[in-house]
This record gives sequence, C-alpha cells and structure tokens, in this order.
Amino acid sequence: MISTSPRSFLQTPPPPVNIFSSGDNSLLSPSSVRFRQSGNFTTAAAATYSTMPSNLVHTSPASFYEILGIPIGSTIQEIKAAYRRLARVCHPDVAAIDQKDTSADDFMKIHSAYSTLSDPDKRADYDRRLFRRRRSVNLYSGGYSTRNWETDQCW
Amino acid sequence: MAEQAYTVVSDSETTGEEKTSSAFPEIAIGIDIGTSQCSVAVWNGSQVELVRNTRNRKLMRSYVTFKDEVPAGGVSDELAHEYDMLSGAAIFNMKRLIGRVDTDPVVHASKSLPFLVETLNIGVRPFIAALVNNMWRSTTPEEVLAIFLVELRAMAEVKLKRPVRNAVLTVPVSFSRFQLTRIERACAMAGLHVLRLMPEPTAVALLYAQQQQQSGHENMGSGSEKIALIFNMGAGYCDVAITATAGGVSQIKALAGSTVGGEDLLQNLMHHLLPNMDDLFSSHGIEEIKRMGLLRVATQDAIHLLSFNMSVPIDVDLGNGTKLSKVLTRAEFEEVNKEVFEKCEALIKRCLQAAKLEAEDVHDVIIVGGCSYIPKVRNIVMSICKREELYSGMNPLEAAVRGAALEGAVASGISDPFGNLDLLTIQATPLSIGIQADGSDFVPVIHQNTTTPVRKELIFTTVHDNQAEALILVYEGDEKAAEDNHLLGYFKIRGIPPAPKGIPEISVCMDIDASNVLRVFAGVMVRGTQRAPMPFMEVRMPTVDDGHGWSAQALHKMYGSTLDLVTVKKIQH
Repeated sequence: MISTSPRSFLQTPPPPVNIFSSGDNSLLSPSSVRFRQSGNFTTAAAATYSTMPSNLVHTSPASFYEILGIPIGSTIQEIKAAYRRLARVCHPDVAAIDQKDTSADDFMKIHSAYSTLSDPDKRADYDRRLFRRRRSVNLYSGGYSTRNWETDQCW
Repeated sequence: MAEQAYTVVSDSETTGEEKTSSAFPEIAIGIDIGTSQCSVAVWNGSQVELVRNTRNRKLMRSYVTFKDEVPAGGVSDELAHEYDMLSGAAIFNMKRLIGRVDTDPVVHASKSLPFLVETLNIGVRPFIAALVNNMWRSTTPEEVLAIFLVELRAMAEVKLKRPVRNAVLTVPVSFSRFQLTRIERACAMAGLHVLRLMPEPTAVALLYAQQQQQSGHENMGSGSEKIALIFNMGAGYCDVAITATAGGVSQIKALAGSTVGGEDLLQNLMHHLLPNMDDLFSSHGIEEIKRMGLLRVATQDAIHLLSFNMSVPIDVDLGNGTKLSKVLTRAEFEEVNKEVFEKCEALIKRCLQAAKLEAEDVHDVIIVGGCSYIPKVRNIVMSICKREELYSGMNPLEAAVRGAALEGAVASGISDPFGNLDLLTIQATPLSIGIQADGSDFVPVIHQNTTTPVRKELIFTTVHDNQAEALILVYEGDEKAAEDNHLLGYFKIRGIPPAPKGIPEISVCMDIDASNVLRVFAGVMVRGTQRAPMPFMEVRMPTVDDGHGWSAQALHKMYGSTLDLVTVKKIQH
C-alpha cells in the first residue's frame, strides 16, 4: 500500500481566483501536517496546487464545516444535504459559465470536506484536531480571532 | 485553458473544445451505441424523446454492410441484417473489438463472427475485413462505428430539423481510456463532438435520479438519500454501479465492469451445439461464413425463446451434411454458461464491497440491458441483493440512452422551468490510474471509485545515486503488475539534482476534470522558495497511439531500471 506524502505543492496550473481561496492555506500550515491521510483520501493533494509562501500560513484556515457552510454539530443528514446543495452549484457540469474554470477546484474542496465529515471515524479524528488547532491558533497567532464564521463563508 | 510550454497534447484528432457563443446552446443528443443495438434520444424541451428511424423504430441494429462502393449501416436498413450476415458483408460487434489488440482474448473469441477477424498475436490491432465480391475488404472498428454514427446523426438531424454537433455517448464501465479515445475518434470522423462519454450504468443512475425527483418522495436537499444498484448487461459488456441519490443529485459510489455479455452466452451455446465449430469455420470461405451465420441466427433465436420457455427445439441445416436437430432446455443453457453467470455474480459482489454497502442497504435494484430478460440473470441479481422484486420504472432497453440525453441537456446548460433538469451526476473513476514504480509494480495515484473531478499527488524518489532522469510510465487498471494494466503513455523528467538515492522528491500529480480528461503532472520538488531546476511536465493522457505494450517493452530494453522510481513510504503521523 502506498500513500501520499505530506507536502502538497505543485507548481503547475496557477491557482485561479476562487471563492474558496481562503481554504487553500490550511493544508500547508504547520499545524495541519497532522491532517495527512492515507492514499485514498482526498484532502492533501486535492485542495492545494500552488506553492504558498510560508508567511501566508496563518491566514484564515477554513474548516471543513466552514467549507460546507454548516455548524460543527451538524447531523449526517445535514452534512449530506449541504454537500448536495453545494455540488448543485459548484460542480463543473452545472456551474455558471463564468465560473467553469474554478468550479472543479471548488467542487474538489467540497468533496474533500464531505468525504471526511460523512465518515464517522474520520470525522471524529478531524474534530479532535480541529479543536486542538483552533485553540493553538487563538493562543499564538492572534490574527485568527478577528475572523468569524461569516467572513470565512462565501455564500 | 491556455496551454503551457511543456504541455504535450496527445491526440490531435480529438476535437478541441470550441467556444460556441450562440445565445441558444445546442442541446447535445444522447447516443447509446450497443454491441448489438443502438439508439438516439434527446431532450425535447419538456422530456426525453427517443428518435425514431424511417421505419419508426427506436432501436436499431449496430452493424454496417460493405457492398460495392458505399457501406451502409443498419439505421435505415435493419431487415437486411440477417441475410447480410450470411454473406460476410456485414460487420458488427464493433464495440467488443474497438481499441483491442490481437493478443486480447476478446478478439480471439470474435473469430467465430461471420466476417474476417485475423490475429497475428503480436500485440497490434487485429485485421478486420468484410467479404465484398469475394474479396476481403479491410476496415477498422473506428471506421465501422463512424459510418454508423454518420447515419445516426443524419437521422437525428432530419427528425430534429437542426444540425447536430454535440453528443453524449454511453460506454461500458470496463473501457480503458485508450478505448475511449477510439470512440472519440469515431465520433470525430462522423462530425460529432463528444461532450461526455458516460459509463452506461451512470446514465441509468441519472434517469433514476430524475424519476426519484419527480416522484416527489423527497424534498430537495433533504439529505434522505436512496441507494440504487444498477446492473446492466448487454451483448458485449456487463456493468454494475451503485449510486446514492437525493435531490436530483446522483452520486456514483462504485463501479464494476467486465467484458462479459450476451455474445459470450451465444458463443458458449454455439460451441455446445457444434463442438467442433472452430475447426469447421477456420478457413473463412464463403460457405463457412454462411454456416457460421446460420448457426449464429439459430442460436440467438433459441436464447431469446428460452427467456420465456423452458425448452426450445433447434433445427438448422448447416449444409455440407451438417445438420443440427435437438431440443435445448433452459437448464442446459444455464449450465453451459455457468462461468458467465458466476462472473456477473462476482461483479455485483465486488461493487457492493467497493461501495462499503450490504445488500440490505440498497433501496432499489435496477436491471437493464438486453440480457435483463434472461431469467437466470434476474435470479442472480435478486438473490445477491436479497430481494423479491426489481425496480420496475424503466424500459431496460431505453434507460441508458434516456440518461445520456438527460446528461446531454444538463451539460449543454439547458434548464427546465419545472425543475426536471435540476440533475447532476457526480462521477467516479471506473479504474485506478497510476505509474510503474517499486520495480515493476503498478502504484495507483488515483484509485478506483474516486469521485471526479479529482486531483491527487504522490511523491516518489530515485533508486540510484545521482540519478538525473526518471521515466514516468502511466498505466490504468487494477492489476498489481504494471504491465498487466493498460499503458496510457510515458514521458521522461530530467534535471534531478545530484543526490544519493532516496533523497530527491519527484512529484507525480494526476488530474481528471469534469469532462474526464486526464492530465499527468510530474517534476522535481524543491523545498522552500528556491526555484525548481527544471519546469514541470504536464502531459495529457493517453498518448500511446495503439494501446499495445510494445513501447513499454522497448523502453525496458533500452533503459532497464536506470530511470526507475520508488514510492516514498508513508510517514506515520
């Protein structure tokens, strides 16, 4: 069994401006190294494709809940409904013409959030880390506390 | 998307994405090219409608007859088929042969068809020819398909009273990406732009999603999803898909497919009826062709009758003193085809397992395709899925083309005021895609049944000290040994900075977009802000032109393991 390495990078396609841009950086932040998963898990490589300067690391890590636009305690039904609602807007097959270029990336982020939160084990694991990360970010970075749910969400 | 300097676009003949700027988007038609029958459907503004030919038929036989100068397909002239089959002039079963090489067992099994399929067993495309005026006239599966598609397109244009350019076609789950390029080539030859190539059961899944949406049992986005298992068995292929549906969104959870179908049932039964068939027909003379045709027609009829009768008499005079006369029972038919049915069973089980579901989790079991009328097939599906009845809301022979037409409308950006097109299929990859690494192993980068669009990355490293170059061999499939999978293409990355083995980090990233285009990016990773010594490569796959393993062998002979890579082992967290 093989697996992904942690460092997502890829210098190829330039990141298009997209409504999820805030979500990219989280995967590169030092605290998010723990998010690495085994090979058949979509997060790492799916969401990042550009080399981010390390000074951007602490800006606005959008959680999977924020990506799906749901509260942390959501039920599995709410998670699935949110995923479908967003897929109906963001999937490249149905996205508005002017968003075709970015919709695949948006959809991949949504799917990656969904695939973690819809799996009870992965979600429990994620929740624990999210809690730890949130705490450390608030304690040490300072910058994060000025943000709130609303500014992290784009719909 | 702008092409970068190092992009290698493989197939120049695949029609490029044209920016159509017309105010009214053309509605793409749906085409189901079956091994034995085909059909066209289109969204007519309020619902999906099947396009009928001049004989008022919705389903047409998939074959082309070569006569004198002008080949003619079965779109308008289906009645001649049985006769043409006896003359060697009719070519059919192209969906079984397309994109295959002459070492493929499926090609070898096609040698009993009443036309010429010649194999030299060297890994190139087989020689296929029709008998015209006592001469073998060569053709290719792409050409036959293209002739046929031209007729289908003309038929649609007449009925719809508009030019038809865009199409969504359904394809078997087990088709390799190389085979998909052959379908695209045939479409390009016929002047059709392929909007999507949709695995057949996923088209059925979309139709199911629409039916669920319309039946109003669920509220949009309520999250109460229904799981459906779709079993599709036609003349050439057998596919299984599991889909989770809610609010018009069909999410494909797992796919499984195999080259097993009615053609196998037919051939097994032909061999059963005439055990020395292969010897009798091996010379492919005019008389042999005729006998092969006669046996085929008689056997085909028997199979159809056995779906509704427990036994059927077979009486056929093959000439030359060979006369078949016997009563065939359903039990005999099932025994002769035991292996085929076992394969069907295995596919369903594999698909359930891949979706991490039990039979009890499935709400609806849908069975479609020409073989869905065979009692044994229905029994197998019902017994594995542990239920007494099957979903009844679909015509088994029209479901796939109707789904393709829905996808055509959705992908063309059409909306319906009544919400009948508020649909979406979230596709998954039918086969894994990866590279050769760790010796001769196949290392998947994108695994089977991964939701698309997707982008995945794996890190590899060198196997030799100061290795400056690496060969990336991209394969598709699910076999452990790389060479047992389909080779999609290969390219070299260079400029790896001198370092002991295992130190450089080579990234291989694969991207599948919503149109199912695969791009492979690879290059040397450099830490920090320092620039990479060499630009990354972006290669659109497949690049190999003839789908055979020759190039892999040649590369191995030339370079041995000097350009090999190994995976970087997972770092525990």
